[in-house]
This record gives sequence, C-alpha cells and structure tokens, in this order.
Amino acid sequence: MVGNKFNPLSEEEIELIHSYSLKVLEEVGIKVKDCSAYEVFKKNKAITNGDLVKIPRSMVLDALESTPSKVVLYGRQQRHTLELKGREVHLGTGGAALNVIDLDSKEPRKATLRDIMLLAKLVENLEYVDFYIRPVVAQDVPKEELDINKYYASMLGTTKHVMGSVYSIKSFHQVKKLASIIAGSLESLKKRPFISFITCWMRSPLALDPQATEIMMEIVKERLPVVLSSAPMAGSTAPITLGGCLVQIHAEILSGLVLSQLVNPGTPVIYGYVPSVANPISMDYLGGSAEFGLLNAGAVQLAAHFGLPNYSSAGLTDSKIPDAQAGIEKALSILQVAMAGGNYIHHAAGMLESMLTVSYAQYVIDNDMLGMVSRILKGIEINDNSLAFDVISKVGPGGNYISEKHTAKNLRKEYFFPKVMDRDLRKEWTAKGSQDLWQKANNRVKAILSSDQLPKIPEGVDFQIRKTFNILIKDIK
Amino acid sequence: MELYDKIIQMMQEGEEEEVVALVKECLSEGRDVQEIINKGLIAAMDIIGKKFRKGEMFFPEVMLSATCMHAGMKILRPYFNASNKKQSAKFIIGTVAEDVHDIGKNLVAMNLGAAGFEVIDLGTDVSPEKFVQAVKEHNPKILGMSALLTTTMPHMKETIMAIDSAGLRKKNKKLKIMVGGAPVDQEFADEIGADFYGNDAMEAVTIAKSIVTRKGK
Repeated sequence: MVGNKFNPLSEEEIELIHSYSLKVLEEVGIKVKDCSAYEVFKKNKAITNGDLVKIPRSMVLDALESTPSKVVLYGRQQRHTLELKGREVHLGTGGAALNVIDLDSKEPRKATLRDIMLLAKLVENLEYVDFYIRPVVAQDVPKEELDINKYYASMLGTTKHVMGSVYSIKSFHQVKKLASIIAGSLESLKKRPFISFITCWMRSPLALDPQATEIMMEIVKERLPVVLSSAPMAGSTAPITLGGCLVQIHAEILSGLVLSQLVNPGTPVIYGYVPSVANPISMDYLGGSAEFGLLNAGAVQLAAHFGLPNYSSAGLTDSKIPDAQAGIEKALSILQVAMAGGNYIHHAAGMLESMLTVSYAQYVIDNDMLGMVSRILKGIEINDNSLAFDVISKVGPGGNYISEKHTAKNLRKEYFFPKVMDRDLRKEWTAKGSQDLWQKANNRVKAILSSDQLPKIPEGVDFQIRKTFNILIKDIK
Repeated sequence: MELYDKIIQMMQEGEEEEVVALVKECLSEGRDVQEIINKGLIAAMDIIGKKFRKGEMFFPEVMLSATCMHAGMKILRPYFNASNKKQSAKFIIGTVAEDVHDIGKNLVAMNLGAAGFEVIDLGTDVSPEKFVQAVKEHNPKILGMSALLTTTMPHMKETIMAIDSAGLRKKNKKLKIMVGGAPVDQEFADEIGADFYGNDAMEAVTIAKSIVTRKGK
C-alpha cells in the first residue's frame, strides 16, 4: 500500500525545515549527560562543551549516506512481512495504556498480562492491522519480569510482527534470547527479525535520556531493528507552532541518526517521528486534535524526503468511549498520515483517552476503518476492464448491471466490505436487536476470542522457553 | 472431485461455460437428468442461497449463478420426460398497475426459474383485471406482485380485492398471493391481505419453495 497522496509541505518548505534543523544541531546542540553516547560524539568530531554536543552538518550528511533507506520487519508467517521504505504504508497497534475497557461491564479496569495475549489474538484475526506493538502495561507483573513476559504473551497470541520497549540492557538480552529460541538461532532471528524494539531515547527538547540511549546503542550494536522514538509536544516540549515543532523533532531525529550510524554504520534504524500536541488547558496530551494528524503527516513527508524508514502515530482520540468523537478523530488522523505514506503507523487501532485506555471493541471498529483507509489508498484503477465499455454497450440504454458477469466478477476486488459497520435496512437492523456499533464490535471480539486457534508457539519450543524463563501465562486459551 | 461438486463450485464462481461443459459430461456418462438437476444445479442454488443469507455472497454473484443454472437447464431440457415436467409449479408474476419498474421483479422471476418454477411473467403496469384473467387461465400455485413506488403500492390491495371478488382464492385453496418491492414490508402485506411477503429476491424463492412443499394446505 502506497501513500504519497497527501503532502502538507512543499519541497521548498521541507528544505527550509531541514536547514533550520541542521542549524539547531550546529548552534544549539543536544544535551548528553551521564551517557556513553557523549564519548561517541566526542570521538567523532562533534563539538562538546559541558553537557552539550553540537553536531556539524557534515556529520549529518555522512549519517544520511550510511543509514539504510529500507528496513524489513518480518512476522512468523511469510505474509506478515513489512517493508518500511519510501511511502509504503503499514498500520498497527501501539501504546502503553494503563486501562482496558472491559468487554462485559464496558467500564475501564486495570490492564493485565492476559490482556496482552488476548489483544494479540484479536489482532491476529483483524485483517487490516499489520503489526502488534504491545498496547498495554500489564499491571499484574513485577517490573523485572515484565519485558520477557509481555513479548512472550504477544507471540502466544499473534504471528504478526511484535514490537515493544525494554527497560534495561539485561532485559533486552533476555528478549533477544527468547526470540532466538523461537527463531532457532540468533542468526536466523537477525535474518528475519520478527520482533523489534522501541527506544524513547530522546527527552524533548533536545536532551538524551541516558538509560534509553544506552539500551538503544546496545540494540544498534546487535544490528536488530530498533525505533528511535522522539515525541515532543507542541506547546510544552516543542514550540507551539507546527513548523517549529517539526524543526525540533527533525533535529532530534537527525541527532539519533548520527549516533546510531556512528555506533554501527548501516544498522537498520526506524526513525520515530511522533510529534504531538499539548492541551493548552491541562498541558496534557491531545491525541485527537486535527493538528496531531497534520504534524505526523508532515513528519512522515520529511522522513520520506530523506529516505528514512519511519514510525509515526495516528488513530488516537481524546474520547473515553467508542463514540462519534472517537470515530471522527481517529479517521481524520489515520487518513492524513496514511495518505502521507507513513511506513509504520502505530496507535492505529484500539486506543481511547489519548494513550491511557484501550478497548477490545475499538480494535474491531478501527479494523473496519483501516480497511476503508486501505481502499482509499488503492485509489481508482483505470484499465480496459475497469473502464467497462464492453458491458456498457452490452447492457445498453435502459438496461441494468445487476445480473452482468462484469458486475459479479469485479465486485469483490473493487469494493471494501466492513465487518461491523451497519448496512442493514432498518427492519433488519431492528430484527437483530437494534445494536449499536459498540455492541456489534463486542460480538465480533467474543466470536474471535472464543474461537479455537492453533497454538502460535510449537509445544517443544514453549517447553524450552518455560524452562529458561519465568513465564507467567499458564493458560494460553 | 465428484462431477456434482465441480458443478456446485463452478456455479458459485459463476463460470457458465464450465457449468455447461460439466452438465454435458454428466449426460455423456449417462447420468439421470433429474439427478443432475437435484444433486448438481439445485444443490448449488441451495448452497448459494444460504451463503447469500449469511452475507457470504453478494446479490450480483447470485444472479450470475442463476444465469449458469439457466444455461445448464437449457442443455438438459431436451432430455426431460413427462415426470420431470410434472414437477414444476406455476408462478405468475408482474409489476402492478402504473408502475413500470421491473428490475426487482425480473430478478425474482429469474431466481424462481432457476429454482425450478414455471414462471409466467406478465411484465409491468399489470392491471388487477389482467392479473385476474391470468390466474383464471393458468391456475398457478402462487401469484406474485411487485411495486417500487409508494404511490403504486395501493394497486396491490386493489388486485387482491379483485382476485377475491372473483372468488379465486376460495375456489383454489392452494393459490397464495405474495408481494414484494422496496417500500413493501410485512406489515403492509398483512394489511392488504397478502399471504406472504418476500424481503428480497432470494427470500422470495425460499418462501415460494416452502409454499409448494407444504402439504394439504
């Protein structure tokens, strides 16, 4: 699926933003404190002064040369392969939400490890969700056990690509080992990485998070795919103007580009542009604003211009329930960023209350929306068959197309058919119990979760993993 | 794969030429004509009808399958014997007076034909008198009426009144009246004294089949 249908910035504007970003790196610099990245920058001709590192543009240009313009992420099935390049679009989950809207009570409750597995199982069955970032923080698991367990719970539920963060270098190596056992060896994991990592290495504005940066550098040394995520908020941790926010985030990303390419030239890095907006009343996150989508679309355009495989955000809403506000905010941001060609758009399904809550039903609803977005990106096909002169002439004036072979044969490929959006006549809708979208989506969730599915991890491998790690999920149904 | 399974599959895919070829193959193997119809063509239409009701097949696809059915029947017709002919029930169909919309009516007629009914299509703008006359002449099991316009719906009631004042439903207890069309619903059907209402062209066939298989009524 290719975007490149929405370009909020002109070529000249992109160059102008880029030149200001370079100026920020050269003249303002980034803060690097208590972190071995400082030595890496210093050794490679960056200008250091106290905690500040100023990066000359020549270093940026070198790094732009060496970073791969394509990163391939794999699933544990061939069809889940994702190529992150150009304006290729992939949409999936995201978040580190604390709460889940309960299926039965429809009220929020604390998220658990089991939710990570069940949401993965749900996503495995949602046709338009391409990858799985663990969407919630399991609050029933101690921190030391969390990383290994959340990755494993995810892989118990889905064979799609799994991405997450790790809280220490130690747990990175554990997760790497876990995935190596599943892959057969570390070499085969590196050949077809079906897991990857997110590091929030940037603490905007323009300061490195020492611990996350150490983890990021370790992953880069191992040459496993990693997202360098920067998420400034316009109005609090970035200028309130959208242009200024893009100047800053692009500078931040370029500093990460330089660092990753100094640590291990040619390593597959995904550039995480996640610009956001602060609520000027509470100074909280405003995920559902029109500007959020616009900023991410602009950021994706910037990344694509410089050939950087990118990670961005769309699909957040500030609504608390799957309602009309959620639908409007999600659709507008996802459409903007997908039409701009975001390579790896996370938060695209399931999120509510910005990033605080997820809802099982919302994943199913959003899946339909992502299907519609995919259809829009496919565009209008023009060829002899689609222009349909033969059937126009066969049917002739006053006829109809209902029973024509051309109609039946083209219907499925030309149209997208949502699973839960209501298209019944009122009498049918009433006969089925006058259910709203939320209820219909809940029904689909229950049907998926109660269906028997093949175990995602072979028995012998599962046994070996449970012998090696303290796996807390015992019941995989 | 068994030949009938192949017919069923090709009918679902709407491959008319394949269906015709398979029907010919059945004949060349000396299979019974009625068996080819029941286990092949009609079995396929049953499956297709079920899939349509479950939302797994779309209406134009069903219509394409019905086209295949007709093509298959055309090959088989010359081989019919007396016992085959006896089987088909008569169904009179038409769009009511002052209404010239016939797409829905034609789809119902086509599906009925595919399901094995002998369909007598009176066309559009059919007056109550014409319906009465046709019922007298053909003595059908079922009379079906269609209307697209809310302004022509009342003619359904007039037609039913004309049928009843001619005593046709009394005389032939088996005659059932069925109505359908975009603005028509069960409530309206009950109100005007129709026996059955079909929501769409597939339901019309299901109901018609249930009427003729019902015994003694």
